[in-house]
Amino acid sequence: MSVEQLLPLVLLLPLIGGFINGVFGNKLPKVVVGSLATLLVAGSFFIALSIFFQLDKAVEVKLFSIISLPDLTLNAKLLADNLSIWMTLIITGIGSLIHLFSMGYMSHDPGYRKFFTYLNLFIFSMLILVLGSNYFMLFFGWEGVGICSYLLIGFHYADEQKGFLNGIAARKAFIMNRVGDLGLLIGLFLLLMQFGTLEYSEIAAIVTAEDFVNPTWMMFGITMCLFIGATGKSAQIPLFTWLPDAMAGPTPVSALIHAATMVTAGIFLTVRSNYLFELAPDTQKVMLYIGLATSLVAAFIAMRQNDIKKVLAYSTVSQLGLLFVALGLGAYTAAMFHVTTHAFFKALLFLGSGSVIHAMSDEQDIRKMGGLKKYIPVTHWTFLIGTLAITGFPLLSGFYSKDEILGYAFAENIPLYLILMFSVLLTAIYMFRMYFLVFHGEFRGSEHQKHHLHESPANMTVPLIILAILSVFGGVLNLPGLFLHDQAHYMTHLYEHNVAGMNLIHMEHLPSNTIMVLMGVAVVSCLAVLAISYQVYVKKKSLPKEDAQLTGWEKVSANKLYFDEIYNALFVKPIEWLSEKGYRFFEIVFLNGIVFGVAKGFETAGEVVKKWESGRVNWYVLWMVSGIVGLIIYYLVKF
Amino acid sequence: MELLLIPFVFALVAMIIPQKAVRGYALIGALVSVVAGVVHAVNYVPSAEYLSIVKACTTMEGGLPFFLNYGYDGIGLTMVLLTNVIVFLILLSNYDNQSIAASKKFVALVFFMQFALLGVFLSLDGLLFYIFWELSLIPVFLIFLWFGAKGKRRALMKFFIYTFIGSLAMLFSLIYIRSYAPSFSIEDLVAAQLTTVSALWVFGGFFIAFAVKIPLFPFHTWQPETYTKSPMAGTMLLGALMLKMALFGMIRWMIPLAPEALHCMTEIIVVLGGLGVIYAAILAIKQNDMKTVFAYASISHVGLIAAGIIVLSLDALTGAMVQIVNHSFVAVGLFLAADIIDRRLGHRNLLELGGIAQQAPKFAFWFAVIIFAGVSVPLTSGFIGEFLLIKGIYGYNWIYGVLIGTTLILACVYSFRAYQLSMFGPSKGFEFPDLTWAEWLSFFIVTIVVVFLGVYPQFLIDMVEPGLQKLIEIVNVK
Repeated sequence: MSVEQLLPLVLLLPLIGGFINGVFGNKLPKVVVGSLATLLVAGSFFIALSIFFQLDKAVEVKLFSIISLPDLTLNAKLLADNLSIWMTLIITGIGSLIHLFSMGYMSHDPGYRKFFTYLNLFIFSMLILVLGSNYFMLFFGWEGVGICSYLLIGFHYADEQKGFLNGIAARKAFIMNRVGDLGLLIGLFLLLMQFGTLEYSEIAAIVTAEDFVNPTWMMFGITMCLFIGATGKSAQIPLFTWLPDAMAGPTPVSALIHAATMVTAGIFLTVRSNYLFELAPDTQKVMLYIGLATSLVAAFIAMRQNDIKKVLAYSTVSQLGLLFVALGLGAYTAAMFHVTTHAFFKALLFLGSGSVIHAMSDEQDIRKMGGLKKYIPVTHWTFLIGTLAITGFPLLSGFYSKDEILGYAFAENIPLYLILMFSVLLTAIYMFRMYFLVFHGEFRGSEHQKHHLHESPANMTVPLIILAILSVFGGVLNLPGLFLHDQAHYMTHLYEHNVAGMNLIHMEHLPSNTIMVLMGVAVVSCLAVLAISYQVYVKKKSLPKEDAQLTGWEKVSANKLYFDEIYNALFVKPIEWLSEKGYRFFEIVFLNGIVFGVAKGFETAGEVVKKWESGRVNWYVLWMVSGIVGLIIYYLVKF
Repeated sequence: MELLLIPFVFALVAMIIPQKAVRGYALIGALVSVVAGVVHAVNYVPSAEYLSIVKACTTMEGGLPFFLNYGYDGIGLTMVLLTNVIVFLILLSNYDNQSIAASKKFVALVFFMQFALLGVFLSLDGLLFYIFWELSLIPVFLIFLWFGAKGKRRALMKFFIYTFIGSLAMLFSLIYIRSYAPSFSIEDLVAAQLTTVSALWVFGGFFIAFAVKIPLFPFHTWQPETYTKSPMAGTMLLGALMLKMALFGMIRWMIPLAPEALHCMTEIIVVLGGLGVIYAAILAIKQNDMKTVFAYASISHVGLIAAGIIVLSLDALTGAMVQIVNHSFVAVGLFLAADIIDRRLGHRNLLELGGIAQQAPKFAFWFAVIIFAGVSVPLTSGFIGEFLLIKGIYGYNWIYGVLIGTTLILACVYSFRAYQLSMFGPSKGFEFPDLTWAEWLSFFIVTIVVVFLGVYPQFLIDMVEPGLQKLIEIVNVK
């Protein structure tokens, strides 16, 4: 079948899955529900794969027109180019593995069917986001992803202890995302004002035309708005605090949000709009520094977190910061490369942590773990691979993709490189800390938990193994000279081929001996951290302190730099104050006061007028005469 | 003509049917109207001209010519269809509320209300419009009086004074503009040549009437109290239909009659609308009565529609029409949800609710869908409406656009708070039976409409576009 026929199918399969499970799920056995959801997403993956191999130039498929007014046309239209199909492969590929994992992980959950319905819809929304051919479709998917994440983060809303807090976390995620969404929406209006269309291809054609005069301020406004949208979904300062809280959802959801979907949306938006960002160097600067700050802040907070999922969450925020540094430098392909490898190892780590939590009877505190390597060997080995990949251990996937970004940072300026390197170093420190505390040393949990320790079933370990293999070898995707001749980078070539704007961007490559030196620095620092961590946590058996004993920077890190408290004081409290006082004083006392005051006034006036109706003729005559006199005087004065 | 006659006849007959058959009778009566509306819609070819259904001239005592002049364009027909479907939904969603649904008085009043509303939307004559406008007050007033909650008298008084003063102002405007035109027919009134000052008088009178009815900030203080004390059916009539008379009135009467006044009134209305959007949303955040939360939410939403109408761009006007329809359905859904809780537990205090989702999963699901529609997520018509509205206002003045856009965020805050406080958390130990078939069907219909218009709004846009184009033309010519 041709690409035109296949493309809607990619989108449709998860929707069908969500629909069937949502409507008839209660009548179907669990196995059918889970397999159906998994197979349909896998089906999307294979269709996308076949599109990927036969795709030559970008293909657009129009489904129908959503709004058609004389000067505003918004179409439901799909676009297949190497960028959107690449994203589709990540989403559906990793997505189907996460589905498979969930079949084991959620098997005891009463909300099993609902869970798979939401997962399918999540994939569907994300696919609309990447496969749409215009910003309007992107916005549809953008918000759809927000809704599904709300439903999934608050999935255990009825839990005795944490149910209500889960709901709060879900709400926080949705509201913070909405702040970003407003930015994006305004970006859409600006695009409409400037270009009169939201189609990527049309905007790209206008912008890349020879005679296009760059309206500097407008481009700055547009790209800043798009970037604000991206900070929401991709958890950058100032809108990142929802992502760690989103850990309230079941672990496969975290994997889905952090690896394959949601957080990559902001990166995708920026890469998709590369031709706009190239015209707004100021926005690129902002993006660079926000990314840098986010990367550092998140890595710092992750140093003293003791919840296994929270550590991973902050590491995601930190990695996303790194990605925005890459985007700020204009290294779009490098960013996409890192998105890809990050999807592999972060999905691996999250699912691995899920397997750990599963084994530990829902315990998430790493202070209560330890020595797990002999109980859950498959999880241990795959988790180790994930940890090594994210820390940039030589020859694993993270090593290549991270090094590429570091290289571009080095080419930009050395201080930038050094700060980024520091953040990478922190990543290695907290990841190894977590790894050693969880898998080495003595078991520190309760007897009950020890008794229950067990390796996860095959439908959970198989995805782990596949992801581990990908995390090891994923780095070859953009190696120079592989798959292609002439030292060309595979992904760079791919994107230049048919993604609008990408062929106009040429990054300076560093001389190869500089690259070697940088790689050497990275390798040495990673190995050094590994060795030191081993000494500290395995040889000396040092354990994290209790919360109360923390002082200085440790306390600040454990308290997440007090971001939540600051936001509370700056936004939440004032609005609540305004709401309460506004109601009590302005609405009730002032506005109602006026209304009843007017009523009262009429009453009083009635009392006064009543006295005039006294029935005495002489008074009436007096009123009449003075009226006549008054009128006469008025007309005399007027004329 | 049958559009008007059906509800009128059903209202009269309602008084004589046997007690047992009242509820079924109500549903059948409403369905007949829906079918009649659909027949008209199917046969309608969108155009800018009014399709006349009755035009008869009689002479009133004293020689004043008086026209029975009814007809519709796409906008009017949309409103007719909307009214008929919403009335059906109101009766359906009240089906299990025995004390109301089985009452002959109630059913007769609802049909009478429908008659008055259709009259408002179909009148092509100023005086007729005014008569139906006033007529619609009576059934709502009586439903409120006979079925309302404790403390209704004060609220009722406030409501009545407000709307009555508004209506008087409109009557003066109509009589005033009549002195510039040979008759009350809409063509004559639109053709009347006004000076700026006289246009301001005409515009102002209409504006007061509509600002109270919509309600616009700061004319809104009757609304939360009235909504809260009114029985659910009354709230739905007010929120879903009655306030739409005013928004429709802006499009059909106020703007085309006195566009000369626009240059000084547009800014004022956009600012008042925008203030209402933000003010009401902020106030909704800390309310503890679920119905009051939704009452303020309603003020917030309609403020946006009013602001969108007055900027008079085709985008915003189209958005306003989509949002008028959307808001009606969402309002029915939200107030139904609040009432379902009230019916089962006897109160709606958010601080005492919680854990309902576990006991009533169906209710939790449909309520969530309505909440999402209320915060205008994509795939619901609210998104299309708000997108176009905010775009239009943004085009008028970008600062207003951005400020009003914050409703996207604030709406989430109060909606999710209300939803989560009542539905989430562990069970609090009360029994909560799940939805009955009538409640389920009501939610289902609301969802179908909202999602259909969210995915394919072009259906509605095609219907209203010629009329809106004509409106813009009239304003531009003057």
